[in-house]
Amino acid sequence: MAILYKLIPHLLSWLGILLVLLRGFPVRRTVVTVTGISGFLLGVAGALLLFRAFQGATPFWIIKSSLGVGFLCLWGVSVATVYCSTGRGAMLLWGERFATGSLSAGAVTGITAIVAGAVSACKIPGADGNALAYMALVLSACALTGLAPLLEKLLPASFKVSPSGMLATLVALLLFSSSSILRLDLFSPLSMKVMKGIHDFVHQFMESILIPDHLFVRPVVWKYIGFLFGKEVGFWGGIVIWFTPAILIALAIHFERLPSVAHIRQGAQRRRLLAAAIRERRYRLFIPALALLIFAAAAYQSSFPSVEYWDPKPLPVTATPSGEIIIPKRGEVDLEDGKLHKYIFKQGEREARFFVLMNPAGELTVDLDACAICKPDGYGQAEGTVICYYCKTLIPLETVGKPGGCNPVPVPFAERGEGVVIDSMTLINSWGATVKATVRAKEGAK
Amino acid sequence: MNRRRWLIHLVLRALAHRKGRTLLLLAVLAMASSLATALGIVSSSMGNRVAEEVRKYGANLIVIPESARLDIGSGGLNFGVVSEPAYLQQSLVEEALLKSGLKAGVSFHLRGALHMKDADVMVEGVNFSDIRRLFPWWQLRGNWPQVGETVVGNDLASRMKLKVGDMVELAGIANKRELRISGIVTSGGEEDALLFMALPELQQTLGLGGLVTLVRLMVTAGGDTLKTSAAALQMLIPTAKVTEVRQTARTSEGLLAKVKLLMLMVTAVVLVSAGSSVAGTMSTTVLERGKEIGLMKAMGGTRWEVMLIFCGEAAMLGVLGGVAGYLFGSVIAQFITRTVFSASADFIPWFICISLGVSLFLALLGSIGPMISVFRLDPVRSLRGE
Amino acid sequence: MSSAIIETNGLTRSYGDICALKPLDLLVPEGEWLSVMGHSGSGKSTLMNLVGGLDRPTSGTLRVGGEELLALNEDGLARFRREFVGIIFQQHHLVPYLTAVENVMMAQYFHSVPDEAEARHALERVGLGHRLKNRPGELSGGEQQRVCIARAIINSPKLLLGDEPTGNLDNKSTVMVMELLKELRAEERFTVIMVTHNQEVAAWGDRTIHLDDGVLVREDRLKVEGKAG
Repeated sequence: MAILYKLIPHLLSWLGILLVLLRGFPVRRTVVTVTGISGFLLGVAGALLLFRAFQGATPFWIIKSSLGVGFLCLWGVSVATVYCSTGRGAMLLWGERFATGSLSAGAVTGITAIVAGAVSACKIPGADGNALAYMALVLSACALTGLAPLLEKLLPASFKVSPSGMLATLVALLLFSSSSILRLDLFSPLSMKVMKGIHDFVHQFMESILIPDHLFVRPVVWKYIGFLFGKEVGFWGGIVIWFTPAILIALAIHFERLPSVAHIRQGAQRRRLLAAAIRERRYRLFIPALALLIFAAAAYQSSFPSVEYWDPKPLPVTATPSGEIIIPKRGEVDLEDGKLHKYIFKQGEREARFFVLMNPAGELTVDLDACAICKPDGYGQAEGTVICYYCKTLIPLETVGKPGGCNPVPVPFAERGEGVVIDSMTLINSWGATVKATVRAKEGAK
Repeated sequence: MNRRRWLIHLVLRALAHRKGRTLLLLAVLAMASSLATALGIVSSSMGNRVAEEVRKYGANLIVIPESARLDIGSGGLNFGVVSEPAYLQQSLVEEALLKSGLKAGVSFHLRGALHMKDADVMVEGVNFSDIRRLFPWWQLRGNWPQVGETVVGNDLASRMKLKVGDMVELAGIANKRELRISGIVTSGGEEDALLFMALPELQQTLGLGGLVTLVRLMVTAGGDTLKTSAAALQMLIPTAKVTEVRQTARTSEGLLAKVKLLMLMVTAVVLVSAGSSVAGTMSTTVLERGKEIGLMKAMGGTRWEVMLIFCGEAAMLGVLGGVAGYLFGSVIAQFITRTVFSASADFIPWFICISLGVSLFLALLGSIGPMISVFRLDPVRSLRGE
Repeated sequence: MSSAIIETNGLTRSYGDICALKPLDLLVPEGEWLSVMGHSGSGKSTLMNLVGGLDRPTSGTLRVGGEELLALNEDGLARFRREFVGIIFQQHHLVPYLTAVENVMMAQYFHSVPDEAEARHALERVGLGHRLKNRPGELSGGEQQRVCIARAIINSPKLLLGDEPTGNLDNKSTVMVMELLKELRAEERFTVIMVTHNQEVAAWGDRTIHLDDGVLVREDRLKVEGKAG
């Protein structure tokens, strides 16, 4: 079954989540198992209801937001962990109560399981008519839940999970699970947000400080400023935000103070305790390290998604002597199939890439294969969106044809008879103006 | 002191105790890894160089007389030598170019020997304006020549002790000429050993009016079109040979391949012998230190812990050998590229990883046998001295 | 003397056809100083190796400190040795490239973590406070043996094994070493088993057993203290 194959990352993360939870709440195994599976089912059902209730992107937005909140919580916990590790005692006590309490076990397990279920359900295309796929998901999740306690017993006893490490791993696994779904992915939007944030900040800063004149800013400086506008800054900034919580938790454990042994008179006994404490601390580092690895896997999956974009090779078109480009609606390609159709038009040295797409509302749109803010890397189409290759922004098909942001720049056109008619000069000039503006913005010279 | 630091301390003490053997092992490891590094650096930087030079020449054609072998290229690209003088009609080539309608930068070259101060020097006649346009990377000390002036290649200038402003007297078959040196040119290639003068002047001096030895064409086209334009031009000038420089670059690639093969073989031999000598030395060491190993086990070290100490020694040797090997290997690479390609090798920092990897791999691989005996050694018998 | 620290039942060790230790029943109470005597090849070293967890018996049972040594695997035996046993050798067996302190720290490393201050203190206790940074080659035989003792007691073992500890020492050093051991035993309350063929050295113990050809032939209980220096 192909759908099971597609669900493998989600089921794997679900198994991981269960194992970590079982280890994290060693005295609450029943609570974890029962809450876990019911939460997962609830999540799947909730996602189904959301799909029924809302159209378009709203359900994805809701689930994505809950993931985002989870990530922010992890940030909070990691900072708190670092803070507490400096004043020993409070945290350990809190952690102990946390690890043994049935309420905390139930709450953490429940929330995690609901989100995990909802995320997995998002992978299955179409809310209706896919009952079989949902059955497969639910059944395999149940099977894994039954399997998890047995597997957990096989893990070595020295493999201990601290509350903060557990949280880091849970969030990491959820994000790993969601990173393979384009519309739930957090890492790419995060790096884009960072890029845009820096972009805006530099803009504001430059305008308020350096106006009226740019003459003081030498070209070299502009080069560095231009660097701030690049994709790399966003990527690295995103990486920093992405990994910091897990690193902080690992550091907090690594620099945790060892128990005081000064009161023990016998040297051998003292050293034995010390060595045991060091060893135990090292074992506890394993979980945050694992979380880091999973975060890395999620970021990788998000940067190099396994989703295949529909991205046809641009077909060359020519203009009539009167300067019109005419593309027939039904010829070699069917313009009204809801897919992206790319064309390239050349006039002497100048060229322009554009595409024709019928949006879900049934209107044809003609747009440049470039947006007003990014380098003209072009667009690809996947899962009800087009994606800007440069900044990885997803643009819902509904909004294609409207100007603004990273939306593809619309081109005026006319539908005449059985074809789409575009004025070649308008096209060329529009491309020229857009590309010139974005390239110059990237280089930073206004 | 924590356990890790103690382990490092212990390993360093043990290595320092047997200085001679440590140095020997270090030398072996450094040699092996340096050769591997040098091989990597040479092939990577010279490979880049060849590609770069081919790129620098761009879509480039040369036109030479049918019978001539020629000496072209710069630096790492010595493609051939002039064997016997053969000439092309300058006007013929110009006509053909006009007829083919190729858009190309053209530079005519005439090469010949002139007598100067009891010695023959190679002189190249060129149009300096073409040179400045087509070979922008030539570096000139002084000025480009006016009428009655000349520029001298760097090597030639230092060999003949010529300075800017000196007067030189050059004698050819037809007549004699006195020229002022207006500049000294460095191209990094064989041009450094030449003397340059205006093409018409050299033609006059040699009595070869209207003749050239070589025409360089910068055709602004790429890939297939270059081949077709070469073929088209060839049709128009049947007495000459039109060649793509891309093709001739293969000669240099061939040289590189040979050097690489040689180094590969040497490296393979050295790696094998280094590996076995590491294994030999390590097993002697382990044999000698049997009592120490037995003692460690008697004190309560598990087999794994004791083995870790000895692996630590091998790894330490590997790391030190790798660092030394990287430094030494860079020097070797520099030496090879200088002598074989007369160009300098790139400085490639990340090759230290390769060097470290080779050295560590050798050190650990050579220690596998000794490590097994460390693991198995019976403390009672070794302490008794058996 | 409370319970038995060593308890053997039909303990046998043979190397191929040669039987180094005939079935031996031995009971050593905790805190006792036991001297084992016999000429070379009598099986006394074999007994010591077995008790110290360095060797495995061919048959019989061997309980040391409540641990059945036969049930332990190789690494388990190593752990037993580091926690439970300190050994003093005739040839000292100090690591030649380490200083006195570092030799003691080596035992700490295998036990848990090295602690230089504690190692220094142990050497001061055996009267070598002034020779901390010397290598074994720069120390006299008696001094080396004292480093060996410091190393053996650093992990507070329950059982101290001496394999002819005074075999290479002159009379004066022998007495000093034995005095030191006696003092340390009074403080740390470990059990001592000492193999020797020197009657005088054996006399420092509470009890002496004589082995011959792997068989326990005689047992003396000494009430009198050995000669003091």
